[in-house]
Amino acid sequence: MTDLMTTPLLLAAVPIMGAMLGLVVWSQPDKLKIWSVIVTVLSLLAVIGISGQLTETIEGPLFLYLLPLAAGISLLGGPVHQQHRLACVLTLLFLGLGLGILTSQQVAGQIVLAILLGLITFLLYWHHNPFWPRSWWGIGAYGVGALCAGLAAVTGPPVSAQASLLACAILLPLVPFHHGYVSALTRLPGSLPSFIVLLLPAIGFHSLVAVIPMVPEIAVSMMTILALVGALYGSIKALAQSRVRLLLAYGSLSFFSILWWFVAVSRTIMPQAVVFLASVALVTSGLLLTWQVVRTRYGDDVDPQAISGLFRRMPQFAVLFSLLALAAMGLPPFGVFAGFMGMLLTASLTSSAALLVMMVAWLAASWYILDMVQRLLFGRERSDLRYEDLRRSELASLLIVVLIVIALGVAPASLFGIKQQPPSVGAVKESVSWNR
Amino acid sequence: MSFIILVPLLPLLAAIIVAIGTRSSQTRRAKIAAYPIGAAFLGAIVALWLVATQGPLTIRFYDPSSLSMLALPLGFYIDRLSAVMMVLIAGVGTIVYIYSIGYMYQDLHDRRYLALIAFTVSVLLCMVSSANLMMLFLLWQVISCLLYLLAHNHSHEATREGAVRTFTLLRVGDVAFLSGIVLAHQLYGTLEFQALFAKAAESAVTLTPLPGIEIGGATAVTLLLFIGAMSKSAQFPIHIWLPRSLYAPTPVHALLHAGIINAGGFLINRLAPLYGLSSTTLHVAFVVGMVTAVLGATMMLAQNDIKKTLGFSTIGQMGYMIMECGLGAFSLAVFHLIAHGLFKATVFLSCGNVIHKARQEPAFPHADPRAEEQEFSRLTWATGFLTTLLIPLVILLVSHGVLHIPLRDSQGTVIFLFFIWVTSSQAILTLIRLRAVASWKVSVAMLLILLFVVFIYLFAVESFTAFLYPNPEEVASYFQAAALPNWLFDGLIVGTALVIILGWFYIYAQARGQIMWVPSWVDGLRIRLYVLFMNRLYVDELYQALGRVVMRVVHRIDKRDTRWS
Repeated sequence: MTDLMTTPLLLAAVPIMGAMLGLVVWSQPDKLKIWSVIVTVLSLLAVIGISGQLTETIEGPLFLYLLPLAAGISLLGGPVHQQHRLACVLTLLFLGLGLGILTSQQVAGQIVLAILLGLITFLLYWHHNPFWPRSWWGIGAYGVGALCAGLAAVTGPPVSAQASLLACAILLPLVPFHHGYVSALTRLPGSLPSFIVLLLPAIGFHSLVAVIPMVPEIAVSMMTILALVGALYGSIKALAQSRVRLLLAYGSLSFFSILWWFVAVSRTIMPQAVVFLASVALVTSGLLLTWQVVRTRYGDDVDPQAISGLFRRMPQFAVLFSLLALAAMGLPPFGVFAGFMGMLLTASLTSSAALLVMMVAWLAASWYILDMVQRLLFGRERSDLRYEDLRRSELASLLIVVLIVIALGVAPASLFGIKQQPPSVGAVKESVSWNR
Repeated sequence: MSFIILVPLLPLLAAIIVAIGTRSSQTRRAKIAAYPIGAAFLGAIVALWLVATQGPLTIRFYDPSSLSMLALPLGFYIDRLSAVMMVLIAGVGTIVYIYSIGYMYQDLHDRRYLALIAFTVSVLLCMVSSANLMMLFLLWQVISCLLYLLAHNHSHEATREGAVRTFTLLRVGDVAFLSGIVLAHQLYGTLEFQALFAKAAESAVTLTPLPGIEIGGATAVTLLLFIGAMSKSAQFPIHIWLPRSLYAPTPVHALLHAGIINAGGFLINRLAPLYGLSSTTLHVAFVVGMVTAVLGATMMLAQNDIKKTLGFSTIGQMGYMIMECGLGAFSLAVFHLIAHGLFKATVFLSCGNVIHKARQEPAFPHADPRAEEQEFSRLTWATGFLTTLLIPLVILLVSHGVLHIPLRDSQGTVIFLFFIWVTSSQAILTLIRLRAVASWKVSVAMLLILLFVVFIYLFAVESFTAFLYPNPEEVASYFQAAALPNWLFDGLIVGTALVIILGWFYIYAQARGQIMWVPSWVDGLRIRLYVLFMNRLYVDELYQALGRVVMRVVHRIDKRDTRWS
């Protein structure tokens, strides 16, 4: 019992204390950044030290490892600037809350989740721009999410399960509850979006593991339909975007919808789904960081159409960006492909139409991601642009992302301690109807 | 025997040698890297000898019972088919790489280019020696990416657009391939080649993809995989990526047309026992191959650029090869792709010199058409006519009457005889078009060509088929599965024979200056068809229009959604 209480407290305390201590060097952004990175390393060490005492879950300690890593990567890849100080401190704070939620028990976890969502709602409101009215939808979505988490903490089943499921749909974005996620990725300051993109879906997924056995059949059917609609909707929206962050938000929404579909169909959480989620989130995080690199050089409001020809002048950036793009398209040997393939092979597919939708979403990713790569890397070089390749910290952060995504694709089970399950699919012995 | 896995790894080592190091040592490293690739070629020959004498080799670094688990199913299965393909790929790869060292000397991107060439050879070798369908698919996709990187000049505006189109079309094939794999795993529970074939043969599953439509499990799987093969082997209507990729350095085309494009043919051969279970898929393959062969060859005739001409020639040949697969002549298709690979690699490596020479001598290679007309010889024409029509007829009668080969019941034998005949006719018609002079030498050359083609095909029929598929019953079962209705089969043979005979009469009449009466609408149609084929049937434009329609719909949906929210 003591362990159950102390583990989350300890894991949460390291980054939260770090965030508080960071205020000491508030006036020196460079030192604040270094301190924040050190704190994430300490958090990772704490997770590694405690991992043996954690309760065994299907996702294993993967998310616990990845959260400090993603936070560290976001901080490392972000620029040193006065405007990014808040993002540094908040990254540590959110990391602490996230680790707390992932390791604490149901009620305490829901309360901390309500606090986290409340904070993000406040942040979105703080950064609300009248030229971007859609962020009201995001503020509303996370507000509802916070309420649902609170409700799940204070009520019992079936209300708590339903409230929890709704909170999951907001955290791990599912159409039509995706506005919060899109707003968070596009409106939050500094390097926060590249951390949030892993934090919230990971928490949502973690909650889903507990909720999914309690979800009634009608809700599962709704989930299936919404997931299929979401996969197509995300792809269509991503195809239509010219802004990189929106493209990445909708692209990842499409992939998360695929995940929702598999969860709804199998009614269980497979290890392959964990790999898929972690990879999609990390790759999106990496791509957001690469876009941050461009923004650092050419301004926050840079038009992606105006930047081109980075391939020759920024070769390190070009190679890492291309690798992340390949991963985002679902190509081997990256984790997105491994997870997607694993889910396809282990799930029991009875609907050809659903498989077609999955494939269309997968194919569309090649289209919009490649279009983005072509525009940025291979266009005409501009003589009026100053090209500067990756700085050491940026290079390190992107390299780590690429290596983790490859590791997730090659050997996730042995590297991240994911619990493997025997395959459930066997040979079909008789005639099957495959027409739903 | 485990040392064989070094064969695909050696070109990878070469790629690393080229890619890593200083600029000053670049030339030396490029030359050193040729040795591992050459060693891979020698290793492939040894592998061929070993598997031919000791049987197939299987090396697995995974648990075959848990292919869908969280592991990369890395393994090698090298049988005679794999070994033959490895020799071809490593051989062509070695020549292309050595040629490229000189060709790309002092080029700004020589390091990237040479490293990618070596890496591509490595991936191709791994692909043909994959232990399971999953690993084959992994490498299949890597090839799609390499094609995007290697076969396009990204500093050229128009080519960049072509690169996107290439990748998108190849991804369409990849998606179909993936769907086929998923379906195969759902139906048979395995992706290991031998287990998959065994399970597919023993369990007849019927699927209902749409209400009222039933389709066999093996047919559904093979059709989906066939779409994947179509994309890599540039089959109509997803062939447009190949002519679009002609701005890349010439040696890339040698590798592309001799190695990468054969992936489709290899896939079908690798899965021959599965394809042998579905007559429908084989018939579809036959139709697709035939349409591609006819359209590819026709479009080739209407092109005015040497590289595009060669590109469409490859499309036509690939169609021919897929057609052979569709007829159940799997070994013939492999033989064809090897012969075509070697021939096309040579042509591409020398086409640069031809272009260079043509620039120096404006009259080259066109001779004076009037001189050709005067040189027309009845002797040559008659020899050609007789060798292509009478001798095959004699062979046919001898085989049927004296050797008692049941031609009426054996489409397989007729297919081989038919391909001998078509190939020799094609060669002799080409010869007479180039050198229609009155000379015994030309006549003798025709007879020699015929003999050469006959012996080569006899080798293909007898030795090569027996080598690749040692079990004659297996070969017979493929022909049986691919058998066309007799009326259609006879009609196709008669139709092709008529085309060849008409070709001879057309040559004769044209050379004699005789005017052939044709209705005016045929003349008009001929001009329209010429324009149509010169513009490659406007398939590129159709795809562009389709892309525009899709994007218009996408933007409309996006606008509505934005307005609503």
